[in-house]
Amino acid sequence: MIVRDRFRGLFPKYFLALFLAVAFPLVINGSIEAWFGYRDQRARLDQLLGVQATSAAAEIHNFISDIASQLGWLVQLPWTDEADEGRRTDALRLFRQAPAVVSLTLIDNNGLERLYVSRVGLNRIESRTDRSAEPALVGAHARQVWFSDVSYNRGSEPYLTIALVGNRSAVGAVIAEVNLKLIWDVVSAIKVGETGLAFVLDRPGRLIAHPDISLVLRGLEETTSQPFRTMRDAIGPGAGFATGRDGQGRPVAARAAPVAGPDWTVVVAQPLSEAYAPIYAALRRTTVLLAGSTVFAGLLAYAFAHRMTEPIRLLEEGTERIGAGSFEHRISIQTGDEFQRLASSFNRMAGELALAQQHQERIAKLKRFLAPQVADLVDRAGDDSVLDGRRTDVVVVFCDLRGFTAFSAGVAPEEVMSVLSEYYEVLGRVIARFEATLISFSGDGLMVLVNAPVPVEEPALRAVDLATEMQKRVQGLIGGWRSRGYQVGFGIGLASGSATVGRIGYEDRLDYTAIGSVVNLAARLCASAADGEILMDAGTAASVRGKRSLQDIGSRQIKGFDDAIPVFGISF
Amino acid sequence: MAAAAAWTTSSRAQKPSMPVIGYLCPESPELFGSRLKAFHQGLREAGFVEGRDVAIEYRWANGQYAQLPALAGELIARDVDVVVAPGGAPVALAAKAAGVTKTIVFEMGGDPVQLGVVDSLSRPGGNITGISSLSVDVSPKRLELMHELLPATKTLGVVTNPTSPTAGSQLQRLQAAAETLGVHLQILRASKEEEFESVFSSVARESTNALVFTSDPYFAFRSRRLADLALKYRVPAVTQTRDFPTAGGLMSYGGDFVQSHRRAGIYAGRVLKGEKPADLPVQLVTKVEFVINLKTAKLLGHEFSPSVVSGADEVIE
Repeated sequence: MIVRDRFRGLFPKYFLALFLAVAFPLVINGSIEAWFGYRDQRARLDQLLGVQATSAAAEIHNFISDIASQLGWLVQLPWTDEADEGRRTDALRLFRQAPAVVSLTLIDNNGLERLYVSRVGLNRIESRTDRSAEPALVGAHARQVWFSDVSYNRGSEPYLTIALVGNRSAVGAVIAEVNLKLIWDVVSAIKVGETGLAFVLDRPGRLIAHPDISLVLRGLEETTSQPFRTMRDAIGPGAGFATGRDGQGRPVAARAAPVAGPDWTVVVAQPLSEAYAPIYAALRRTTVLLAGSTVFAGLLAYAFAHRMTEPIRLLEEGTERIGAGSFEHRISIQTGDEFQRLASSFNRMAGELALAQQHQERIAKLKRFLAPQVADLVDRAGDDSVLDGRRTDVVVVFCDLRGFTAFSAGVAPEEVMSVLSEYYEVLGRVIARFEATLISFSGDGLMVLVNAPVPVEEPALRAVDLATEMQKRVQGLIGGWRSRGYQVGFGIGLASGSATVGRIGYEDRLDYTAIGSVVNLAARLCASAADGEILMDAGTAASVRGKRSLQDIGSRQIKGFDDAIPVFGISF
Repeated sequence: MAAAAAWTTSSRAQKPSMPVIGYLCPESPELFGSRLKAFHQGLREAGFVEGRDVAIEYRWANGQYAQLPALAGELIARDVDVVVAPGGAPVALAAKAAGVTKTIVFEMGGDPVQLGVVDSLSRPGGNITGISSLSVDVSPKRLELMHELLPATKTLGVVTNPTSPTAGSQLQRLQAAAETLGVHLQILRASKEEEFESVFSSVARESTNALVFTSDPYFAFRSRRLADLALKYRVPAVTQTRDFPTAGGLMSYGGDFVQSHRRAGIYAGRVLKGEKPADLPVQLVTKVEFVINLKTAKLLGHEFSPSVVSGADEVIE
């Protein structure tokens, strides 16, 4: 129940506030870090790919320029009209040096073919065919080195023709056919990260080198070259790498670099999954950290919210219990702050409430046998030792109805109770007015004590006046009763003397009472009193003599007393 | 044969989940050893090691080329994942004719397009692709080399295997080359080992004292025998494979078989990885090698010109 309550009210507010206070900056910080990490990594990747593209282009360029420089050795010596066996030796040696060269043609300074050697076809020696108008030669004369467009041998193997002239016209020119399939050795050795690769496209965008040779052998086909060309075009001339998809549809990051000479493009491509692996790793790290921090923030917020709301809950619970009457309950909060102070003031309040409650209970108890004003007096004194047992002089007053037993047997119980309540109502008012102490009821009789527990001035006189007033009032009632045909009378007996007074009984059933022969005497005098009579002993009579008009009734034999006792009456 | 038995055992010990290569071989394990080694190397480059990643079912025709269709049929019945048909056009043609439905990876010296094995080099079509070693294409170069060694000889002997599917085209090319070079050809035929001796003896008797062998696997795998006979009859001869000068023959000019068989291994591996034969263009071997044996040249009383020696990829001294 408490747990459920926890999720209403203050707890969720505190929890949310504290949680956000911790988690929000963490998330912001993590996001910013991730963003900058991403940007840095992109910049790094761009730089790396740029360097790799340039170095790949340099390697491809080396492949071509190596062949060109080998060819340079064939155009060193001026031509004569005689056949030269040495040139064939040089050409065949070049075959061994440059495995990519498929055929070589040597042209003299007049543009005539002097030697043709091939790995596959038959050699031609001194054919003296005029080849001066061929584009290769024209191009070479214009630029010293001339590169043809890539052609595809039998529609499959990419071939390049290189033409080279010497530094003077007398040395002639050389034309070489190069099988570009052998760039595979170069291109497959280029490492771009772990799984990246490099490929080469010619100017129209046909694939001429790729680590997968089977793609190169279909480079002439549009479907093969198209995705590579798309990637090359996506990179464009601007800075920064482009993203695209490779042959298998994987997203890749790519950069390009030009190959000087044949006007090719080298593209290096790295799968994004690998290129961004550090980013992803950093993101994963950040996410895990954020998740951890969020959980930590949650725990922290929970703990703090608990710390803040727990005292409030204890206070709430405590006040409820105190409100329900458990004044002995104490709220235990040891936070050393306002809550603890609040709890101790609650505890103080509970203590005071308990005292007030005790006070109320005591008054209620006293009021049962003391006149209310006396009870208040005792209570205000804050001490009920006045009720402790002691021996003191008291005046005991007994009174009861005559003929009540016979009356009660003859009428309905309702009538009996109505008579009794009228009777006691009258007596109660009189007892309260004279501040006498009501000791007990029994049927139609009652016992009243004067001068105990609270002493009064002239107790005997007060008791006599009390009895007189009782007799007057009850006789008033009796007049009414008689008119209804009820034959009852009322008699009172008083006696004064020393008696033991104090509380008797157990737990909540405590009564205040008097014990002593004076009590018996008063009871006997009451019993012997006739209707309308007030009988008192000599002690009482002596105390009021001269103040009230007494009648000496003479000595009467009273039950329980050996000698006859002088009895006095009073007229009213 | 012992090796064949060992291979059969290893193929039987394979795990059932392993892919199976059917290896249809025209010769015996002994004659094919160097080729098989190159094939295994290529297979390893593609990520497959026999017994570990792949099982190989070998079928050896042991020189009986007529058995090839039946052996191909056995591989079909065995339901192998890929059929490798190395060692010449007859093997590829036998595998194709036997109705292999799985991918066939061939290794041959001939032109697969001309032989009708594939549609084109870049798009082979069907379920077949492979490697061509260019050996057939360079037959005229052998004639040229022999002519250069013996410029005075006006008639040169050419040995052809009439059962070879490339025999006709090679002879045609050789005739054209002979015209260019200004020599006559004496065509000699041999399709069985027993016929070799008569070829050499007939040349030795006549003025035509040199032999140019056409490209043919049957000849290539019997280089030792041919070298022995060439020495015995003191006949300068040139064949397609380096095995010949290595065994004491004069010279050889042809595609590098190590490269072609290694690439066949790579292609077999790629097919096992799920690539379609139609996406694997026919590869031509890039290396044509020229090997000469100077010791034999001296023995036969001929001398190579310096330019020829400088152009040789390997010189045996």
